[in-house]
Order: sequence, then structure tokens, then C-alpha cells
Amino acid sequence: MSMGVPEIEDAKLLFIFGYNGADSHPIVARRIVKAKQKGAKLIVVDPRITESARIADMHLQLKGGSNMALVQAMANVIIAEGLADQKFIEDHTNGYEEYKEFVKKYTPEYAEPICHVPAEQIREAARAYAKAESSMILYGMGVCQFAQAVDVVKGLASLALLTGNFGGPNMGIGPVRGQNNVQGACDMGALPNCYSGYQSVTDDAVREKFEKAWGVKLSNKVGIPLTHVPHRVLEEKDEKKKIHAYYIFGEDPAQSDPDLNEIRETLEKLDFVVMQDIFMNKTGLQADVILPSTAWGEHDGIYSACDRGFARIRKAIEPKGDVKTDWEIISLISTAMGYPMHYNNTKEIWDEMRSLTPSFFGATYEKLEALGSIQWPCRDESMEDKGTPYLFTGGKFSHPDGRGKFFATEWRPPCEVESPEYPYSLSTVREVGHYSVRTMTGNCRALANLEDEPGWIQMSPEDCEKLNVKEGDLIKVYSKRGSLITRVLPTERVRPGATYMTYQWWIGACNELTTPYLDPVSNTPESKYCAINLEKIDDQAWAEQYVKDSYESIRKNMGIDTAKKEV
Amino acid sequence: MNYFVKGNPDLCIGCRTCMIGCVVAHEGTKIFQMKPGEYVFNPKLDVVKTATITIPVQCKHCENPACMNACPVKAIEVVDNTVIIAQDKCIGCKTCMIACPYGAIDMVKASDGGKQQDGSDRIIANKCDLCNGIEGGPACVRVCPTASLKLITEEAVETSASNKRTAAAISLSQVKE
Repeated sequence: MSMGVPEIEDAKLLFIFGYNGADSHPIVARRIVKAKQKGAKLIVVDPRITESARIADMHLQLKGGSNMALVQAMANVIIAEGLADQKFIEDHTNGYEEYKEFVKKYTPEYAEPICHVPAEQIREAARAYAKAESSMILYGMGVCQFAQAVDVVKGLASLALLTGNFGGPNMGIGPVRGQNNVQGACDMGALPNCYSGYQSVTDDAVREKFEKAWGVKLSNKVGIPLTHVPHRVLEEKDEKKKIHAYYIFGEDPAQSDPDLNEIRETLEKLDFVVMQDIFMNKTGLQADVILPSTAWGEHDGIYSACDRGFARIRKAIEPKGDVKTDWEIISLISTAMGYPMHYNNTKEIWDEMRSLTPSFFGATYEKLEALGSIQWPCRDESMEDKGTPYLFTGGKFSHPDGRGKFFATEWRPPCEVESPEYPYSLSTVREVGHYSVRTMTGNCRALANLEDEPGWIQMSPEDCEKLNVKEGDLIKVYSKRGSLITRVLPTERVRPGATYMTYQWWIGACNELTTPYLDPVSNTPESKYCAINLEKIDDQAWAEQYVKDSYESIRKNMGIDTAKKEV
Repeated sequence: MNYFVKGNPDLCIGCRTCMIGCVVAHEGTKIFQMKPGEYVFNPKLDVVKTATITIPVQCKHCENPACMNACPVKAIEVVDNTVIIAQDKCIGCKTCMIACPYGAIDMVKASDGGKQQDGSDRIIANKCDLCNGIEGGPACVRVCPTASLKLITEEAVETSASNKRTAAAISLSQVKE
């Protein structure tokens, strides 16, 4: 995020795009509610009536997969009505003339049939966004989990450039990252193209620095993104390029990745699969080796929040049983593979990382202890450098010339759209309580008492009536790739023709249905759109028994206590 | 006057922390040590979501409670400004559930593990008791992350009415004759 999470409360306008805070991050949602109480205007763009949409001043209930058209129609209005910040554009940006020319075509009337949002509503939203004293954009997976994702991120950033909403407090653009410490994983270089602090693996000077520090030769090639693994296992002909072994930790691709049939085949074809996690999960069922590791309350470390803020986490209880911390396991594996690695504590690891990462160098354990949290960049160890609450101060951007770059491109529809055979769209979403792939929360009894297998499919009351199904009925859902059984949840919060499922359930596993199409830049799959069909199940008693038996069988295979459990 | 918990839908984010807080307050942390299937999970409030509203619904603790008037065994009484169901007296007849105009009463397995004479589970009426006898007052109010729930007492009602009267007086004085 270019800003800090606390700044959300003081923005004059929040433009919330494809982000459902109440379900994915209740603690951030609290700030949104606070902002509203303090008088902020709320504009929400979402195909569903989310909690934020419900309390918003304006809700643009767009059709899924039309983001780019809407973003550029807003730019069109801002330019056409003379609401752009000409001084900011002249002083701090490049590419405005081409941008202006490109978005000319994207009039609200042009966008209306694509987005299913009235042209006048697009105009009103654009005016409000441009005119507010400070406007802040918050976006989530409703932007990122499309095959056209990075384009929309750049498009949203262009709206902020266009209106001068960068460089000061309570403005900017914020991807509110999906998972706990996903920001930290990226910050620490758990990406195929960079080391810690986003230092490029193809930069010779950077590579030499790491080679010297670690005393080994390092590759100068970008690695393989997670979502390319199935292809590199199943379709790669060149034995040298083919993947043979897969070491997975803190991830459950057999639950979270699209097209689970393909993932299971991939795990099956691999010669060797290692799974390192806190509890058994679907991936673990296909692993050759399982390395049990400690959970969040059982170890020390540092997390990065979505707003670049580092914060220490501390061990609360002693771990029980045959488990080790992730960093100890990695050290032991490395040593066994011939590269001796030893640390006494997480501070030693952090200090080594800092010494190799200029933009994080100033964030010492001592300073974190004193300040609670530090947002990078923080380059100096002295107490004067308290980090950077918001980026691009004074309109100075990260491009070499310090100027922000406008971006526009044609809208592309989702890769698989509705057809006579598959007439409904499906988007994967989150629900409050159960987190991510349920590894952490599925066995938590209080949360399982609120929601348990097989989960729900959110449908409009009109569609329920058409299919003659009611709340709680079990229903068959299928796509070109797979099928499953889940429960019907009629809700006025979704539009006819569109359906929504959360992706953590083992039985109602919606990733059996999703498509493996990726954004060409981020390699993130299009989890927010695929075509499905629904089929009423006449024999409900059979279906209930099927769900119960499946749950018991999965739990048994995973070695989870199968004591009486009502499904 | 009986007290009640009032929710503000403009603040509620539908997270259901209140429901978990309610169960833990009434059952104690023992539910975390028991085997699944051996404890009951009976939230005394339910988060309702419509197109425009999200808010937990629970007992209003009416001044003239339909449930109390309907109960044939006098298992419902007013104690400490609270309408309370005496679980040991309840015969599970469901009359109060039908009588309640707010849908605030449901029928659940008794949490004391009590059985019927034939050995089957005892089913009784369940509703909000404002955490009567529990230190700190209603758990839902205490755990709500957006402070969307408030315990309304006589004093709170009087203060609110008094503030409104003051506001009315000020607005009247601004009306020129």
C-alpha cells in the first residue's frame, strides 16, 4: 500500500474496488466504518452487496470481469469534465497525452453495456473521486484474481495520478493483501524474480552481493511461478526443464489452486513431494514426506502488514509434540544438502537480511521494540529514521526519472464466460471466520460450529426460484473441469446469473470448478470468473449422507479425530 | 425498566464475534477441552443479513413479555431488569418461541447435559439473558470489534431523551416568530 492502514480513517473519500474488508480483514473493515463515522464519502465497486457496499454513499454493482472498462470510463469523465489535476500531471507524470487519447473511447455510455452500471452513476462516482480533498483507493482480490489484473492495478494508479492523490497523507492506492504476511513473503524475496527488498535476481551487482555474503554461486535467471508448476510437470518435454520434486510449505495447492483435477495429477506425477505445515491438509494427502512445523503462537518472528509495516511476533506458548520452527527445518535441510546453515534465533536471521537489503536496513529489532511497527523503506539504523508512513512524498515516484507513468489499455473479457451449457458465472470469495484454505481454522471448534462442510453457494433468490431450491438444500455444481455438492444460500446481495463460493471447503471445494487461466504479468489465476451449471438434487437424504460420509473419510485419511461430529 | 442490547447496523460488519462471545460466556472455556459432540453450541443471538441490513437479533426484554405471559409452567420471570428463562423449569413446549414477535427464542439441547427420562436429550427454550450473573455484563457488547452493540439501561434512555429535549429546545429557540 502506498499509505498506512491507520490513514484509512482520515481519508475524505474511500474508493473501495473489488475489496470486501468485512469478510477478509475485519480489523481493516473497522477502519472503513470509522472513516464513514468521521464523515468520509464511500464509493464501493463490487458485483455483490458487501458490508461496505451496504453502508456506502454509492455502490457501483458492476458485472464481474468488467473492471478495466469501468476504471477507464472514470478517467474519461475526469478528463472530459476538466477535473484532472493539471499541475500534478505536469510536474510529476509522464505519458498523459497518450493516456488522454486512449481513454477518449471509454465514455460512460461505452462502458455501461460492459459493466452493467448506468453511465450517470459512473459520472457521479468519477466526479466525487476527483473532487474530494483526499481520495484513497483500496482494492483486493476482486482486482487481482482476473486474467486482466495488473492492467487494472495500473489503471487505478492512473486515476490517483490524474487527480494528484499521491504524495500526501490519507490518499494513494492500497492493495489490501489477502493473506497474513503475504506482504512479508514478497518483501523477503519469496518470489521467483527477486531477493529481499525487491532486489532483482537479474541484476549482476545484487547477485554478486548475495554470492559474497553466502559464499555460493547464484542463478541469474528468474525462477518458475507457482502457477506454472502444473505445466512444467505435466507438459514439459525437455527432461532438464521438467520439475521432478516439489517442496511446499505454508501452502495447500490441492485446495487453493484452480482446477484441482490438474493439481492432483501434478502432485501424482511428481517424483517427490515434501509438505511442511502446521496441520494435515489436502496437499499433505499426496505428499511423500511431511515436516510438521510450529504455528503462529509457538514461534518468534516478524510479519509485514499490507501497509509495509514490520511488526514483531512473539512466542506465546511452548510447542507440543514433534515439531520445529520453519527456520530450524530450513536450516537442517540446507545443512543435510551440503550447505551448513545455523542460526541461534530469528534476530540473527533478520540482521543478516537487513545487512543485504538497503531499504529495510534501518528496521532493527531494538527499534521495532521501541516503536511497535516500522513501515519500509527504513534505511538508517538511527532512531531518527522511523520508516515511511506513505510513499512518493512530494510526488517523487520510483521510476528512474522520479515521475509516475500513466497506463491505459483495452478491456478484455474473462477467459471463460457463460454459455448455454454453463449459464451461470462463479466467483470465489472469502467468508469471515474460516481463513484461507482452512488449515488453521477448520479444526477450530468454535468456528466450525458457526460454519462447516460442505459450505454454501450464494445465489440470487430469482435463480433459486428458477431451480426450485431453497436455503440449505444440497445442490450439484459443475463446470467443464469438475463437479461438487454444496448448500444453497439464497441472498439478495448477489445478482441473478452470478454465484459465489468460498474456497476453503474440502467437500464443496470450488477450485474443482475454476479455470487455470493466468494474468500474463502476475501469473495470478482468474479465480473470480468461470462458467458453471447447477443441478437440483432430488434425493436430499442421499446427498446428506454423501456429505457426511465424505467428511468422515477425509478426516480419517488425514488422521483427524473422527469422534462423533454432526455435519 | 428492563434493559436490552441495541445494535447499530451502520457499524456492524457481520463478523459474528458476538455469537462466539455469547457461547463462551455461557458455556465457559470448558467447551475447548471437551470432545466435539459432547458440548452444545447455543448462541443466544443471531446475525441477520438482508440486502441493506446486517445486525444481530436478540431478545428485547419486553416490559410485558409475550413469552412470559404464555409460559404454562412459569419458567420465565423478570430478574434484575432482565427477562430470564429458568432452564430447569422449562418443559420444552415451544409456546414462548411461537409467542415471541421477534424470533428471539429458539429450542436447543440443554447445555447441562440433562436427559429426558427415556434417555434422549432434553430440549429447552434458549434466549438472551443479558449475561445475568456474568461479570462485566453482556459479552456481545464487550467483544464487538466495531462497538456496534450497546446495553440500553434506564439511565441510557433517560440521557438520550434528555439530550433530544435539549436539542429540541435549541432548535425551537432558532425559530423566529
